[in-house]
Amino acid sequence: MVMRLATALAAVLALTSMPAIAQAPAPEVCKACHASSYETYNAHKHGTKADARTPANRGECATCHGDGTEHVKAGGGRGVGGIVNPGSKTLAAEAKNSICLTCHQGGKRIHWAGSKHATRDTACVSCHQVHTTRDRVRDKATQTEVCFSCHKDKRVEINRPSRHPIPEGKVACSDCHNPHGTAGPALLVRDSVNDTCYQCHMEKRGPFVRPHNPATEDCAICHNPHGTTNAFLLKARLPFLCQQCHEPTSHRGQIASRTATSTGAGTLARGCENCHTNIHGTNNPANISNERTFRR
Amino acid sequence: MTFNPRHAVPLTAVAAALLAAFGSAAGQAADTSPDPTKPESELSVGAGYVTKDNGRFGQYNGLRDEGLYGLIDFNVVRREDATGTWLRFLGRNVGLEHRELRFDHNRQGNWGYFLEFSQIPRYEPYTVTSAVSGIGTPNLTIPSTSTAGSPVELKTRRDRIGLGFDKQLPGNWDLQVRLRNEEKEGARLWARGTAGGGVVGGPVFGSFEFAPEPIDSTTRQLEATIGYTGDKLQLSGGYYGTMYDNHHNGLNFTGGLAALSSFTPIALPPGNQSHQVHLSGGYSFTPTTRASFKVAYARATQDDAFVTGVNVPLAPGVGNNLQGRLDSTLAQIRVTARPLPKLSLLASLLHDDRDDKTPILRYNTLATGTSTFNGDNEPHSFKTTTGKLEAGYALPVGFRLSGGIDQERRKHNFSPVRVVSSREKTDETSYRAELRRSMSETVTGALSYVHSDRDGSPFLTTTLNNGTPGSNLVHPLHLADRERDKVRLMVNWQPTSPLSIQLFADHAQDKYSGRALGPREGEAQTYSLDASYTFSDRWQATAWITRSDTRIDQSSCVNAGTTGVCPATAASPVWDASLRNVGDSFGAGLRGKPYGVLEIGADLQYSDIRDEYRQRAVTPGATITPLPDVNTRLTRLNLSAKHALQKNTGIRLDYIYDRYSTDDWTWTTWTYADGTRVLEAPVQKVHFIGARYYYRFQ
Repeated sequence: MVMRLATALAAVLALTSMPAIAQAPAPEVCKACHASSYETYNAHKHGTKADARTPANRGECATCHGDGTEHVKAGGGRGVGGIVNPGSKTLAAEAKNSICLTCHQGGKRIHWAGSKHATRDTACVSCHQVHTTRDRVRDKATQTEVCFSCHKDKRVEINRPSRHPIPEGKVACSDCHNPHGTAGPALLVRDSVNDTCYQCHMEKRGPFVRPHNPATEDCAICHNPHGTTNAFLLKARLPFLCQQCHEPTSHRGQIASRTATSTGAGTLARGCENCHTNIHGTNNPANISNERTFRR
Repeated sequence: MTFNPRHAVPLTAVAAALLAAFGSAAGQAADTSPDPTKPESELSVGAGYVTKDNGRFGQYNGLRDEGLYGLIDFNVVRREDATGTWLRFLGRNVGLEHRELRFDHNRQGNWGYFLEFSQIPRYEPYTVTSAVSGIGTPNLTIPSTSTAGSPVELKTRRDRIGLGFDKQLPGNWDLQVRLRNEEKEGARLWARGTAGGGVVGGPVFGSFEFAPEPIDSTTRQLEATIGYTGDKLQLSGGYYGTMYDNHHNGLNFTGGLAALSSFTPIALPPGNQSHQVHLSGGYSFTPTTRASFKVAYARATQDDAFVTGVNVPLAPGVGNNLQGRLDSTLAQIRVTARPLPKLSLLASLLHDDRDDKTPILRYNTLATGTSTFNGDNEPHSFKTTTGKLEAGYALPVGFRLSGGIDQERRKHNFSPVRVVSSREKTDETSYRAELRRSMSETVTGALSYVHSDRDGSPFLTTTLNNGTPGSNLVHPLHLADRERDKVRLMVNWQPTSPLSIQLFADHAQDKYSGRALGPREGEAQTYSLDASYTFSDRWQATAWITRSDTRIDQSSCVNAGTTGVCPATAASPVWDASLRNVGDSFGAGLRGKPYGVLEIGADLQYSDIRDEYRQRAVTPGATITPLPDVNTRLTRLNLSAKHALQKNTGIRLDYIYDRYSTDDWTWTTWTYADGTRVLEAPVQKVHFIGARYYYRFQ
């Protein structure tokens, strides 16, 4: 307690000894009570004085936290003296974000206003840590920890047996999604589901002599990219998945079975793909029945 | 104990290089206390041991075989304060197969560039034994009789190199260039087959042969963007180009069954490319009114040479490639406003047009009247228009009520000869309401409800080449009439400062209609409870539990007639399937500092997943043999301890226990005609022990 009082007093003395032209307390004043924040700020890009755009050249701590003069005079305390804390739970997300958007409005954040995260009161600091040299959400290895704090269903799905290498840190949420808003659906980094998938799976793009229309239109009709128990992240086991669209003529309506009949051929091993090899489409110019059914 | 030489080279080389490059600086730093206002670097070197060969644990990191592996990670960060010049050299998992390296050099607010390298292995999680030869090449030789084979490792690996350049230009303009090149090589599980032919070997139902797809391709992406950031106006426009080059265009076969002799060559994915120009922008008319937009035009082409050796006579005029061309146009605009302090409004419109302009040619003249093809290629075009209106109103005590209407209209083209029902248009309208509380020291959360209704133009009947209607019984999943109701609740509760609790509940229900067969109902539920407790500055604990449950009910018919009449007899019944996936998962974590120089961590995650395939005869008298459930259980325990030897050095120990078990019957009874077996160990237990020395410096 004595130490805290002494620190507060030191801060007040430092403030009162500042030149009269100062508009807000210098960082060294803030340091007296917020040493850790001061240190990480200085080690951070925000504290880089050589960059004219940074808070280091725009008013230091006051750039984001407002003028702390009254806060210091009052001896500190949460919200005392009108100090702004973007991490506060009682400050509106829009007010918090307006601080960050003062400088970070362009580029990938052009579509922030009206995006799903913006309209759901997500604050920049809900995901980003500012007073650190290592922001968890900007590191592929730890990014999911942040996203899963809200997206609980995805936390489970990425650990399903059929999945992307997300737990290994080789694919991150931000490889497919731009959480700051996009023009297309589901905050995807490209303009559609397929355009996003093609970044890594360009062989599926075609166009083919014989396309499989659902695959051309939306990969997510058949696949759940976050993970499933079915091979190739399929939403359902074959033949059931195929039977959700295909007419039951010939063998297509057969009951799934493990027995040594032709029905088993659509159920075991690769299921329907035991024969229908080129399921995303074929570029074979023969273009007869075997191509219509993606068999070669 | 074995050592994996393929992981060894970078281990020593990188460590030596780093110590040589940064050794002197590190030595200086060791003499003084670190300055917390300066960026800090870290290097760690050690070794880890995997106790057992496995299929799942090492699927994406290469830790597949029992043995010793190198553990090297580093993150060198330097800042020259006078100029604001940063240098960062990151190495992650350098001794393992999923390694990545990144060198980043920039003058903050002025220029920057980076070079990065990343590998992503993917091992097939099965044990394959095969006598098929030529795996990984476009020429396979298949034994004509069932033959005992030898172990085959099926894997692919992506090797990526990325380059980037940034430059801040005068007048609030900036330039960004990104280039990525990826080489992908290996082979993946593939097959060819037909229902006809003889039965060879074990329980083979027709004629099926193991035919791994050879993977040898290059993917390139180039993006150059110029941006402007003003107080009110922001712009971002540029070029995005992609290129996919498959070094194989067909898979050829020698040998194999006579019944499959016509299934060669199998075409492999063709090379293709795309070029997009785009412009995005945003303008803030007032502090509370803003508009943003995006326009983009792309042209994707595919002119890769057709596979040769096709055993069907091509019609005159067919060239050596498809001349494929897909033009895409996207236009989007969104306006947000807050006309009153408590009222916020949003309106947006998106139009996405995918126009496949590939010329339609008759590739063969083999079709008869009853053929389900006419010899033409079938370009697929579609348009999507999405509109959205939303309003939100701030209520007392930090609550906010919002509501909105979304509408999506899709238009598809269709081919004159069809075997699957199509629809020219689908329309889906969604109504949303949400009550949210975001500002509170103790309780925040949201309750939302969405009702969606999808319908569309009449289903197009399937038709044969002569125009005769085919079977028209199924409404395809993505085109069917659908009513969807979705409720979601999320509550964050912090009853006391150290304790926080989070509840998440999501329930969605779908009802499909339109035709006699196809999907009927769907349901998806997720319930999750999280808790975290901070005992002190030194100890924190977390725990969570989640249940997810999805189900879809669908119906079909055995041997429906070609004109779409389901016999509905005991021999050819109508039947239903109820497919359900139920997963129970929980996790727990503990972080602590028992004393000054020791940090420990423990994380446990467990999942128990059950897949059900309940099939039921709707037609009386029919019998159906049930399919067994598939149960999958995953356990992962991570323990770590970090012991500081000095202020900037220490030792870190890691232990991982990974257990995977399944009773999946997908491959258990399957033998390819060539004798290939594909199996998975039903229980896989792996222990990993790692020890490393870390060193921090400035």
